[in-house]
Amino acid sequence: MPDTTDTPAPEEPHAGSGHATGGARGEPVSLDAPQFAVAARHPRRAEGAAAVSFFLSFLSFAAFGAAYWQAAPNDVLGISLGVGFAAFGVALVTWGKYLMPRGPFEEPRPQMATTPQERAEFVGDFASRGKVAIERRGALAKLMGAAGAVLGIVALFPLVRSLGPKPNGSMYHTKWRKGSRLTSIDGRAVALDDIEVGGIITVFPENDVGGALSQTVLIRVQQTGDVVTGPGKETWGPHGYLAFSKVCTHAGCPVGLYQELTHQLLCPCHQSLFDVDTGATPVFGPAPRPLPQLPLYVDSKGYLRAQAGFDEPIGPGFWYRGGSNGSPQ
Amino acid sequence: MIDKLFGWVDDRLALSRSGRHLINKIFPDHWSFMIGEIALYSFIVLLLTGVFLTLYFVPSGSDVVYHGVYAPLRGQRISEAYNSTVNLSFQVRGGLLMRQMHHWAANIFVGSIVVHMLRVFFTGAFRRPREANWMIGTTLLILAIFNGFLGYSLPDDLISGTGIRIAFSITESIPFVGTYLGFFLFGGQYPGTAIIPRFFILHVLVLPLVILGLLAGHLGMLVKHKHAQFPGRGARNDNVVGSPLWPTYAAKAGGFFFLTTGVTALLGAAVQINPIWQYGQYYPYKVSYAVQPDWYMGFLDGALRVMPAWELHLPGHMIPNVFFPAILLPGITFTLLMLYPFIEAKLTGDVAEHHLLDRPRDRPVRTAFGVATFAFYFVLFGASATDVLANYLSLTLNFVLWAFRIMAIVVPFIVFAVTYKLCKELQQTPSAGKRQQFNLILRSADGGYTTVPAEQYPGYDQPELAPVDVEKVELTADAAQQDGDEGVYEIPRRYR
Amino acid sequence: MGVVVGALALASVLFSPHAATAGPGASLSSAVLASASAPNHRAALSLGRTLFDENCSSCHGVSAQGSALGPNLRGLGAGTVDLWVSSGWMPLANPAIQPIRKPALFDRAQTTSIAQYVASLAPGGLPIPKVDLAGANSAEGFSVFALNCAPCHTVTGAGDALADGLSAPSLHGVTATQVAEAVRTGPGNMPRFSTFTISPTQLTDVVDYVTKHIEHPSSPGGLSLGGVGPVAEGFVGLFVGVGVCVLIALWIGDRNEREDTDGHGDAHSPPGGEPPSGSEPEVAHA
Repeated sequence: MPDTTDTPAPEEPHAGSGHATGGARGEPVSLDAPQFAVAARHPRRAEGAAAVSFFLSFLSFAAFGAAYWQAAPNDVLGISLGVGFAAFGVALVTWGKYLMPRGPFEEPRPQMATTPQERAEFVGDFASRGKVAIERRGALAKLMGAAGAVLGIVALFPLVRSLGPKPNGSMYHTKWRKGSRLTSIDGRAVALDDIEVGGIITVFPENDVGGALSQTVLIRVQQTGDVVTGPGKETWGPHGYLAFSKVCTHAGCPVGLYQELTHQLLCPCHQSLFDVDTGATPVFGPAPRPLPQLPLYVDSKGYLRAQAGFDEPIGPGFWYRGGSNGSPQ
Repeated sequence: MIDKLFGWVDDRLALSRSGRHLINKIFPDHWSFMIGEIALYSFIVLLLTGVFLTLYFVPSGSDVVYHGVYAPLRGQRISEAYNSTVNLSFQVRGGLLMRQMHHWAANIFVGSIVVHMLRVFFTGAFRRPREANWMIGTTLLILAIFNGFLGYSLPDDLISGTGIRIAFSITESIPFVGTYLGFFLFGGQYPGTAIIPRFFILHVLVLPLVILGLLAGHLGMLVKHKHAQFPGRGARNDNVVGSPLWPTYAAKAGGFFFLTTGVTALLGAAVQINPIWQYGQYYPYKVSYAVQPDWYMGFLDGALRVMPAWELHLPGHMIPNVFFPAILLPGITFTLLMLYPFIEAKLTGDVAEHHLLDRPRDRPVRTAFGVATFAFYFVLFGASATDVLANYLSLTLNFVLWAFRIMAIVVPFIVFAVTYKLCKELQQTPSAGKRQQFNLILRSADGGYTTVPAEQYPGYDQPELAPVDVEKVELTADAAQQDGDEGVYEIPRRYR
Repeated sequence: MGVVVGALALASVLFSPHAATAGPGASLSSAVLASASAPNHRAALSLGRTLFDENCSSCHGVSAQGSALGPNLRGLGAGTVDLWVSSGWMPLANPAIQPIRKPALFDRAQTTSIAQYVASLAPGGLPIPKVDLAGANSAEGFSVFALNCAPCHTVTGAGDALADGLSAPSLHGVTATQVAEAVRTGPGNMPRFSTFTISPTQLTDVVDYVTKHIEHPSSPGGLSLGGVGPVAEGFVGLFVGVGVCVLIALWIGDRNEREDTDGHGDAHSPPGGEPPSGSEPEVAHA
């Protein structure tokens, strides 16, 4: 930022100050100089305070030892230890602040920039000696560089070969398949009458109970009839049931808050709000895409099943996700 | 005896030569130069308490059944990491205290780095020759934040697990390499298999080593450059005025270490932090409302919240929403922060060595820019608590979020203008911030009041002593002889 | 005025305790009526009717059929009415805002009698559940709580704001009966949990966890900061932790210029004593 209008503070050297005993700067200073007087006006008081403080820390540390021996609760342990440390610190600081030379003292500060001569000497040593050594052995230097480069590249191999599998296609599908039964966390299949209107349950495909990516919320919004959340989804919501991926399309948190009055799902992490009736479309907050909907049907025994897996990648976006609808499974 | 031992060592290592400069290092007397020490001392507390914790923590995601003393968990299947953290809180003597001190020290560590950095920024202490040390400091801040997040994640509780999930999503959002990075870091598709042991070794070994190394460099450069200082009291660009390391600052700084430790221990005793037993084991499908990261990640969480629901769709590819607030924003932030000394030097054309510090008011543009930037991040930090604020202030969530979206844009400009104006006003007021002379208000017999200047409080206008060169102190005759048990120096009368 | 009536009408929809959806709620937990004997029952109904007429009928109608100001209560069952009245949500001064927990207007017997009176008007709904916590497993309750309740009420039960100005209330201070009633009936914005989602045994476990461990959380580490997690902790860490340390720095690093006026450490000069004289040669003049 250009500070064209600045008026820097005056940096007047030694602004008008006279010199104390000891004469000009750099002259020897006697220990009797006023700068060596203790800082406190009442050193005995300071000494007393430090003594009391040290004694307090002595007692507190001893109390901490006793408390620890007796397995005392956290607050007793912590307060005895904390008071011990704090009192010890207060005593030391009191000692240093009030009972030591008041100063001020100074020391010279060399400028960091070197003189041209110093630099020339260094560069001379480095370059001239090095030049002889390196230039006559050009091939050696190149070989050394080549070996080092190979090592550098090879050193990256664990990153791509053993740290973890490559994503391959795993971003694009979950364990939901055609016919997967909707299963509760304790492994029971959900039947038609198991959830009341206004109810919500977290479900998984029966072969991936507890799965981080296949977690799905099942909501019942009405007693009878298909719920249609959009074109092409006429049969996805039988008997008032709707199922959506529970993984937020924003940052991947489980969207577990169902506002029953407003038929909205709220993400607890960043408060993205999804409207259930229109297919979990985002209506508020940072989530950019609807929660993918799982198409459902009721089988002949009355159990809820998936017509197919999700028709787009679930969860937050990633570079290879493709267009707004993502790649098909 | 001690003299002999010292002599033996000194003969072999020439301690007297380098040691003399070290113990004579001058620390300028100003409170704001002590803030960085808070960071140093809380880091030491982190190392000490951290070592204690590693003795009991089991970095593993494997399932175990809880059999400890906390009833609501008994019989639940939990991870070894969570199990060992609960056990060390309840069944290890002093374990809870060490855990809480560790966590509080982490909060203080990052916080004091930020405050220290603000001091360095506003006083212009990052200018030549300290640009590199500013960059090391910035790197230390980044590493401290990262390591804090890793440590926060290790107990594998419900709240931290949600944070790891978000971290995976953020990693995934990086163009080209995001999914690969995520898979390699987590050992596969979320939730992976390896995250706890990997976070553990990063948290307790790799990052602390890097931090230690950089810290050594940071302090080494400090010794090399010597402290910057405020003008006045005989302070010039080519000297340092203050008190020497030995004995004054050895006592002060040593005392400060114990005080910082004491504050941490008292917090650990009195205020509960991260009661993971109340949160339960993390499962990817379980979640709690009101989840937030620790405060130093708050600006990221807030940025994630206030970001509008935009994504960038390209043919066959996309840049997800979280990329912008969680990768791009901190990326730009920390790059600019790193480069700030060079940017300012470029804009002002001032490339001279500076060892005398600015008063913030004397650099109104820099000060206003810094305060405005800080205000921006403070708004984002506040935005990480939209839900909690809405709940406590009885406002709607929608209103609070929109308020933060608007504030994030508007507040920095207002703050810039106000700060700039304030700096200019202060420049016109030379006495501002100085100790004022007291006035006495006298009531006369007939009830009238008059104001008269009070007698000077002793020392207020005391002529200051001139600084004396610390290495030019005359040795007494005894010291020159270097023998006998009476000590090196004759103890002056005033010490007795 | 029109605005107020409009708001009331809206609210009557917003905060309907499932007036239209009293579905298969009959198949609910091991609940029994809290009433004891027949004569008591008749007396309670009579008391309930009086209290209802005086306090509830102005909004909900004389036979609980509902009005523009309040929803139909017929067929909701005693459990729903008990929850809304015992929690202090009802009677509601301003139906336009979400009712908040306040001291109940009626004592336990009065509340029960109102609930039984309303339940007697039409069949259906949830009776007042009787919760027996003997043998409850709070670990199972914690697990079920974390999956089904924590998303809104937070895992510490502190409650938090939801969208649209609604909120999930704090669970501190609720009774066992209220928890059971709320889980089964889903008051207001809350979803209802069927016996499939939370079995009768699990409900007992959840009630046990809430009444024992949410109400009386184990906080051996000190102040619990309202159970709102890292936000509160961050403020303490910054303003107490860093703040106190900076204040200490202020003390340590403050220059000592006030401490000594005359260079003689032992001089006991009272404050406001002699101003420094120029007589001492070693004192430099600024």
